[in-house]
Amino acid sequence: MLEIIAIEKKFDNKKVLDNINFIVNKGEFFGLLGSNGAGKTTMIKLISTLLLPSDGKILLDGKEITRNNVQIKKKITTVTQEYTLRGDMDVDEIMEYQGRLYQLPREQRKKDSKNLLEFCGLMEHRKKRVRELSGGMKRKLMLCRALLPKPELVLLDEPTVGLDPFSRRQIWDLISGLNQQGMTFILTTHYMEEAQMLCQRIALIDQGQLLEIAPPQELINQLGNIAINVVTPVGIQQKYFKNRERALDYAKNLSDPFTLRETNLEDVFIKRLGRGID
Amino acid sequence: MAILTVLWEKWIEFKHEWQKITVTAMISPILYLLTFGLGLGMDKMVDGHTYMAFLIPGIIALTTMNASFNAIGMSLNVQRLYEKSFDNVLASPTPLGQYIIGQMVGGSLRGIYAGSLILGITFIFGAPIQVNLLFFLVMLLNGMAFSALGVMAAIVSKTHADISRFSTFVILPMTFICNTFFPVANMPPLLKGAVQILPLTHSSGLLRQISYGEPASLTSFCILIVYTIFFMVIALIKINKSKNL
Repeated sequence: MLEIIAIEKKFDNKKVLDNINFIVNKGEFFGLLGSNGAGKTTMIKLISTLLLPSDGKILLDGKEITRNNVQIKKKITTVTQEYTLRGDMDVDEIMEYQGRLYQLPREQRKKDSKNLLEFCGLMEHRKKRVRELSGGMKRKLMLCRALLPKPELVLLDEPTVGLDPFSRRQIWDLISGLNQQGMTFILTTHYMEEAQMLCQRIALIDQGQLLEIAPPQELINQLGNIAINVVTPVGIQQKYFKNRERALDYAKNLSDPFTLRETNLEDVFIKRLGRGID
Repeated sequence: MAILTVLWEKWIEFKHEWQKITVTAMISPILYLLTFGLGLGMDKMVDGHTYMAFLIPGIIALTTMNASFNAIGMSLNVQRLYEKSFDNVLASPTPLGQYIIGQMVGGSLRGIYAGSLILGITFIFGAPIQVNLLFFLVMLLNGMAFSALGVMAAIVSKTHADISRFSTFVILPMTFICNTFFPVANMPPLLKGAVQILPLTHSSGLLRQISYGEPASLTSFCILIVYTIFFMVIALIKINKSKNL
């Protein structure tokens, strides 16, 4: 279990996270959603100790995560938003380096590297240097690298940015399968479909404040399950309704063209966080 | 063991770039040998020895210093600020003390490699100096001190330009004034006092003493060890405590 306790983070006296408290249960797929600059990446960096909190603490299985707590850090890996790969190493060397950093036995790191690279379609590129890989390949390699040590907790900071739809689906299959086997994930993403599909609970963060934590469906229910998009001369406007009957009643009186659809997480994001997805 | 992991990483770096590393390590020292040794000081004597015998240990010391500092300082700076690959190391369960020691050993080995290349070249041309195991031990210690300085500089730097500035303001002056090309005794008193506390002065002095067949100064050994530990501790504190690394 991961416990975030009264976390505050300041950069040059400017608070970017303010009194954040939440718990992520073992085996959960947990999402952090917020617009750009909301503090999601800062939160991921704090859990992975790339940043240290100005106040508060973070516990995993009751033990504080610090830069020197080697036993706890063995249980956590991160896929950062930026590429964090050695450009001069080839794909095999990146995996080997990760295996060594996490002190994995030689046989395990060879076998598991091969399996992960095969799954992500990187086997034929394993002798290529990182600087020769496409953005999508680098992204997949970072995921393979994070999964190699079979961690208890994987932090995914926009892990599918730049991937084609096929690759994205492939990654979703991989991580949701691992989640079903008990691996815990914390995901930040701007793909609402991804969050809705994968996450069991979602935390909405806005300007460093935690607004709410709830399952995606609950957030959608709060808004209304049915949405109507009305095409007006000033743009497309959304209206939300508890059920289809109420939506249809409303639509009867509309003179503008409209479409009726199910509400999704993107609607929640826009409505709750007050702006579109960047 | 994390030290071995870092040494493996330094080996991979060397394996991919060994031609460039080798050529780069040799250019400046060969130019110094040609300019100062063969050009300016061919027929000069220093403390009863030929200028060449005086110069070669100084050049080996500065070569070891530059190679070790650059192998760690430049590389780690790029990994931290440009590639961001240091983030993955920082997030991993690598004990940070071991990571720094691994960098120091790796950088020092790179320094010994560069120093040995120059030593080899000078021997081909009949260098009038003695070399023994202690000579290599001093190269190792010198490399450790400047690799530790490299780690410290890379961690403290906020931009890529900072590490170049560090080289310009710290490494370059030491290259020329620290008992490498001329004896410290010839300097004005105030400058002499300042230069005598710098680490390269002591590694140059030690290598020279060994190459002359004289007893090596224990004080200089101790000073190099103190510098190594000091740079290492500062780097470790900085990595451990920095809230926004």
